[in-house]
Amino acid sequence: MVLGNYKSVISARAADAEILKRSQDGGIVTQLFAYALEEGIIDGAIVAGPGDEPWKPEPVVATTRAELLAARGTRYTISPNMMLIKEATRSYGLDKVGIVGTPCQMQALRKAQLYPMAMRKVPDKIALAIGIFCMENFPYQGLEAIVEDHCNVKMESADKMDIGKGKFSVYTERGAISQIPLKATHKYEQPGCHVCLDYVANLADVSTGSVGSPDGWSTVFVRTKNGENVWSKAIDAGYFETKDIASVKPGLDLVTKLATDKIDKNKKSVEARATFGVNKGLRNPYI
Amino acid sequence: MSKVVEVSPTTRHEGHTKLVLKVNDEGIIERGDWLSLTPVRGIEKLAIGKSMHQAPKISSRVCGICPIAHTLAGIEAMEGSIGCEIPDDAYLLRIILQCANRLSSHALHNILSLPDMYLPGTDTHINPFTSEEPVRSVALRIQRLREIGQTVGEIVGGEPIRPSNPRIGGMYKNITPRAKSKLFDLAKEGSELAREHMEFMITVFKDWENRQTASVASGYEVEKNDKFGFHDQGYMAVDPLYASSNLDAEPMWFPERWTEVRPWDWYMGEQEITLDDPNYPNHATTPAGNKAWPQMEACTAVPMYDGQPIEVGPRARLAKFRNYDKKGAMGLQIARQMEYPDCLYSMIEAIDAIDTSGSVIADEIPQGDGSLGWAANEAPRGTDVHLAKVKDGRVQWYSLLVPTTWNFPVCSRALEGAPWQLAEVIVRAYDPCVSCATHMMVVDEEKKVVAQKLIQ
Repeated sequence: MVLGNYKSVISARAADAEILKRSQDGGIVTQLFAYALEEGIIDGAIVAGPGDEPWKPEPVVATTRAELLAARGTRYTISPNMMLIKEATRSYGLDKVGIVGTPCQMQALRKAQLYPMAMRKVPDKIALAIGIFCMENFPYQGLEAIVEDHCNVKMESADKMDIGKGKFSVYTERGAISQIPLKATHKYEQPGCHVCLDYVANLADVSTGSVGSPDGWSTVFVRTKNGENVWSKAIDAGYFETKDIASVKPGLDLVTKLATDKIDKNKKSVEARATFGVNKGLRNPYI
Repeated sequence: MSKVVEVSPTTRHEGHTKLVLKVNDEGIIERGDWLSLTPVRGIEKLAIGKSMHQAPKISSRVCGICPIAHTLAGIEAMEGSIGCEIPDDAYLLRIILQCANRLSSHALHNILSLPDMYLPGTDTHINPFTSEEPVRSVALRIQRLREIGQTVGEIVGGEPIRPSNPRIGGMYKNITPRAKSKLFDLAKEGSELAREHMEFMITVFKDWENRQTASVASGYEVEKNDKFGFHDQGYMAVDPLYASSNLDAEPMWFPERWTEVRPWDWYMGEQEITLDDPNYPNHATTPAGNKAWPQMEACTAVPMYDGQPIEVGPRARLAKFRNYDKKGAMGLQIARQMEYPDCLYSMIEAIDAIDTSGSVIADEIPQGDGSLGWAANEAPRGTDVHLAKVKDGRVQWYSLLVPTTWNFPVCSRALEGAPWQLAEVIVRAYDPCVSCATHMMVVDEEKKVVAQKLIQ
């Protein structure tokens, strides 16, 4: 169960070349939201838009294709997307809200739907939740240290950042590539990520990430009835190119392996909290 | 030989009150005291020293039916003290919020009043919970009206109960064009429903007025009097819809005309209950032999305007600004219904006027020098005056004169001449909001008033 419940899993990428131009992988999130927006499945989506500092995301309620496109690409730092979940139904006047987020943000969303504490009118307005795979995240200063000190790249010059194959890579606008082993980044990880037991956004309608599929493609889990409905319509309408996950390398085996690694490792840190002190422990949110 | 009967608690209004009634042999009220028993929470005292941003958010917790009135009056009293002018678009958002609150509050009150009323032309009391027509569609219409009010409040105010959007200097957020068109649709739908609903409600109240006998809820019928719920206390209102504050070019409320006395000076002294009625609807009245002491038990202060208690609320607004002259409990009920259309048309006008890209926060928010500011918001139940002194961003002094506080002594006078069994009908006509009304007052174990002087 490390991959959660799902109806189908597939390797896919957006059919829209403009979306793919600056997407992190297969452009799944941008394309699916763009489709849902065009079709009226959602009337806006909470995405990680550009912030005031380079590579610092700022959650925004995107109600146009242009705003969705501006949010393409992974920013390896915190973007508190759930911050806008209530406001989207208030001054933005949305009735059908889309939201993208990491596994923890999908958990927050589902919790808000089931236990809406000061979340009046939010539960029934969630129309599409897209989750992205997440191994861990960094605070902004951590990311700055990794990029500027370890990779020796000015944040402003970075064109794309990527974690894969055991490395943290920064690509610059002028074509240089700077890579460091992932090991060097561990101390910058956000400590809260060490108790997270979800890798592939188990609670989303549709979750997607790079692992398992070739470069430029994404692995997509279609999980809920709602997700399946939107996804199959988008496929029928020709918004995505797809490949059978069994036919691509490295495929689901790698996803399963990484998910298992993450959960096993973090389970240990959850357990260690119980005996952290002498005759006392630290809180465990799962019990 | 007069007797004393006590209805405690009263029902179908907000908060906790009782009626102590001195009646003659025919059961006609000679002197009635309607008083709050709601525990005092002392918002005004605990606000002292807090920031001017926080105090109005606390005072919005006074009441969950009209939190918008307290938020806006509180914020505008602070703005009045520091001398902060808000941008036009923020003002428009506040107007929409005000209308939304009035809409949902009046509709809610219909549910509370209807069980006393009859289906016009019949002897059947209206039970809003029945699944039978025509009441069912009335109940659904009330629900939809409230939903519209609450949704509009949610969009412009951030939240219909304890609005989060208003702040010192304006609002946190303007609305988006999408939200604006959503508001429009809701207000348009609401204005049609409200017109239908107003007509229905006025028919119901007029029917009640024309009856010779009536009962409370499903109780037994007694004969009514001609001047049911009349009083001679006069009216106070500052605006047909919104508010007035000390920053206005021509303020409509005058702090120097306001005085406040203790319940001691206004209510009856200790009484022994000598009349009881085990068949009074919902629960019996207080058994004979018990004691009541309105002077001591009342939890509100008694505010006066020109040395007299004064009526506030829908009728006061219509009387002041629209030459409305219908007296009595049904006059008040009908005035309330007449506010529906105005509330929705004002909402539509304000939505129309709003610039969704306009600024909603003042460029400069002064920190205050301790001068007195006040704002009088026309809450659903009447004039809600907040007074404040802010210095260096902190509240130095804060006072709330809430609609039902004004109405308590007026309504007590209006009880005179009515059969005691119908006293609650008069009380309900005021749409009392007792947790709103309950004022700062300190009573120690021996029931001695400790803080006799309420304001320094």
